[in-house]
Amino acid sequence: MSPHTTIRIREERDTLVVCVGGYLNSQLGEEIEKVVRATLGDGTRRILINFEDTRLVNSIGISFVIGIVEKVMEREGRMAFCALSRINRDLFRVTGLEKYVRSFETESEALDYLAGKE
Amino acid sequence: MRLFGTMGADASFREEDFFGREEELSALTRAALEGSRGIGSSFMIYGPPNIGKTSLLLKLAKVLGGSAAGEGLPRPFPLYFSFSQILSHPLALSQHFLQEFLSQLLRFLGDERPSSFDPAAMCDRLASFGVTGCREILAAHDRCTAEGDGLSALVNALSFPFSASGELFYPVFLFDDFQYTGKLQAVPEGAMLSILRPYIKSGRFPMFLSGSSPGRVTAALKREGLFGTFQMIEVGGLSTTSSVRLWGHLCERRRVEIPASLLPRASERLGGIPTYQRMLVEEIFFRGAKVPDAVTLENLYAVSVTEGKLNRYWREFFENTFPDRVQRGRAIRFLKRILCDRFPLDTMEGAISLMGTTDAEGEAILSALEFKGLLKVDLDQLMFPGDPVLADFLYWAFERGVLGKGTSQVAAAIVQARLSRTAPEPGQGGDHARRVAVVKELMRKWDLREVPLLLLDFGMFREKFGGKGLLEVVIGMEREAVRVRLPKVSSVSTGYRASRGGPRFDFDLVAYGFLDSDFSEENLVIWAVDAAVEKNLGARAVEHFENRCRLLALEKMLPHDRLRKWMLINETADPAAVDLASRYGIHLSHPTQLRLFLNLFGLEELEREPEPARSPGSEAPPAGKTLEYELVLPIKADSEVVAARVAEEVAAFASVDADTVDRIKMAIIEACINAFEHSASESGKVRLRYLLSPDKIELFVQDDGKGFRSGKTPEESKKNRGWGLKLIRELVDDVEVITGPDGTVVHMMMHLGGDPANPGSVQQEQEEGGSASPGER
Repeated sequence: MSPHTTIRIREERDTLVVCVGGYLNSQLGEEIEKVVRATLGDGTRRILINFEDTRLVNSIGISFVIGIVEKVMEREGRMAFCALSRINRDLFRVTGLEKYVRSFETESEALDYLAGKE
Repeated sequence: MRLFGTMGADASFREEDFFGREEELSALTRAALEGSRGIGSSFMIYGPPNIGKTSLLLKLAKVLGGSAAGEGLPRPFPLYFSFSQILSHPLALSQHFLQEFLSQLLRFLGDERPSSFDPAAMCDRLASFGVTGCREILAAHDRCTAEGDGLSALVNALSFPFSASGELFYPVFLFDDFQYTGKLQAVPEGAMLSILRPYIKSGRFPMFLSGSSPGRVTAALKREGLFGTFQMIEVGGLSTTSSVRLWGHLCERRRVEIPASLLPRASERLGGIPTYQRMLVEEIFFRGAKVPDAVTLENLYAVSVTEGKLNRYWREFFENTFPDRVQRGRAIRFLKRILCDRFPLDTMEGAISLMGTTDAEGEAILSALEFKGLLKVDLDQLMFPGDPVLADFLYWAFERGVLGKGTSQVAAAIVQARLSRTAPEPGQGGDHARRVAVVKELMRKWDLREVPLLLLDFGMFREKFGGKGLLEVVIGMEREAVRVRLPKVSSVSTGYRASRGGPRFDFDLVAYGFLDSDFSEENLVIWAVDAAVEKNLGARAVEHFENRCRLLALEKMLPHDRLRKWMLINETADPAAVDLASRYGIHLSHPTQLRLFLNLFGLEELEREPEPARSPGSEAPPAGKTLEYELVLPIKADSEVVAARVAEEVAAFASVDADTVDRIKMAIIEACINAFEHSASESGKVRLRYLLSPDKIELFVQDDGKGFRSGKTPEESKKNRGWGLKLIRELVDDVEVITGPDGTVVHMMMHLGGDPANPGSVQQEQEEGGSASPGER
């Protein structure tokens, strides 16, 4: 039903950037988890999730994101979010995600932060 | 003896009109010049008709004619010969070939053009240049003619250039329209290649064959075992840069002014095909037209395609290719479906069944198209060149011939289609135009799909739900009987608004389809669509629409089930209008239904123009009045998105701010997901109710399960789940969960009107949450 639900990934400055498009539901959450797990296996420790094109989010999708955060922390990686809409920021705060992962307005700010240039 | 003069093509070739193709030219020139050292390579140049193959060969001939050979090496003698002169008798062809060879060679050697076309005299002149053996060849030709031995005459004539070459020159063959050699009388197909075979195989003579029918020629090459020897070069449209330079040149010659900024688009419009550019400039010049902007250019182009030079070009092309009127009609309809409607097709069988004719006739049509280069057959796979002008011509031919529309209407449609694709109009009437565009997209998608009739019919909703509320929407049908199989829509065009003296039948949109995928006139179905402009659809508008439909049905002699009538409501409809529509069999749809269609068909929502800020409450229902909407969702992955969409639409009636809309959407998504998970799933449906009053929105999500489980199941805790209800509480102002014998209802409420005393609990928490230290550990 949501054919425009996709993720796009690329590597930038030693960071895996995951752009989440459309509806962050369980399927999409699972896909992100898969990608992140594979990346951690390859040795990349920095993950950025870009929510610029995320139009809807549901709680199952969020639980996957939490699972991902746990995994990254286990492996002592660094993680950030960017371009969260107001409603998504609220949801992340309510679910406690905000306490563990820092979010930024723009992708480049987040990349700077992940590269340690705070 | 009197022979034909030289053919038209090289006489009318204007070198100064040749632009671009630098890459092909330099490769071909290099290959041709290698002939001076006895190295000959063979090329097959192919491409659709009028793409510029002949010009490329003639340009190559000019380049070679003016090239200096290395010291002591023979010079290249470019021999251009076209087989298209329909000299289908081999005796006539060989005589013509000899004549051409002698006169071109004399000119090449510096002789003035002889005043008489006397081969004997030309032989004498050639002898003075040291070219011998000419008399013998002529004598042999006369012998063959006397005996009526066409094949021997061809062998005799075609081998002459090879034996005549020597220290002074070597022949470079530029054989144009080579596919015609397969059509010689009493000579087997491929004979020409058999004759040339030893020379090609010797690898000493550069040879360039050109033609629009690569499949046929390739097959002949394969039969002769020559395919591997040939390099294939496909000729396409000019690059934009070259094409723009050509525009400049043509416009300057005719003193036609077209702003430079329009030229790249104009090139793209014509597929970068030089012939078209020439014709269009001639057209503009002929009409003495000014071209200040893109719209004028589009108009002139459309006029040319529907009644001007571009039209004449293709009309003659089809008249020559298919002298039989019925066959021509079939071919045009067939190509139209492929090039304009993008009918996906790549097999012979498919093509013949699409034409709806006998195998024999279908094959004859395909073969003629292949011969003319409008079709490429490779390993039984069919490919069609995308020629934008041809596509527009076919559109015209179809609308004019099959549907009987006037030329000016078709021209207007071509322009409109083009403009709407390139630049969506902002502002005025945007809403209406957008809705028409949505329907157009839907129509395209309706190929072979079954659509629940209820989704189409506003009247049936009202009946089914006892006239309750303004709009009830049902997703997922209970009975198959309410499904309708739509005809395969073949063509969608924007209709024409009525104007005085204009056409009688004007609709916002007209679509043509065929029942049971049978493309015959008897199975033609027409959709007539109007999008109401007035906010409240009245009975008069319905009456007016019905009258126009009747006239259309009369004109086309359509049985009543062959005309589908559809009106789109703008906001509301009078009960009288709804009754009338259902009596006439007119489908009514509400804009919200359209949105849902988009979702169902997996379509991207069309680009929305930024909506003008509505003054708060201006479109809200009158005080005290409550609007009610109902939605039934099937339990199906992601169908909660539909519920969110509907919520968005409902909220739009009350000018709710974006943030609140987001909250409502998220809350409803969570409520639906919970309902899906907890429903006992007897009917497999979740019912939603949206109540909109001036000061609040209320949402009811009802499942038929046993209510929320408060304790987490092991699976849930593993997945960090179970906070759906918690989220809902954060998102909306008030939540109530009522579990009864029929299932559970989640009742959510959101206050409207920005009450400062109750801005929502989430916002209050924001201040506290902000201080929590984020970041890594």
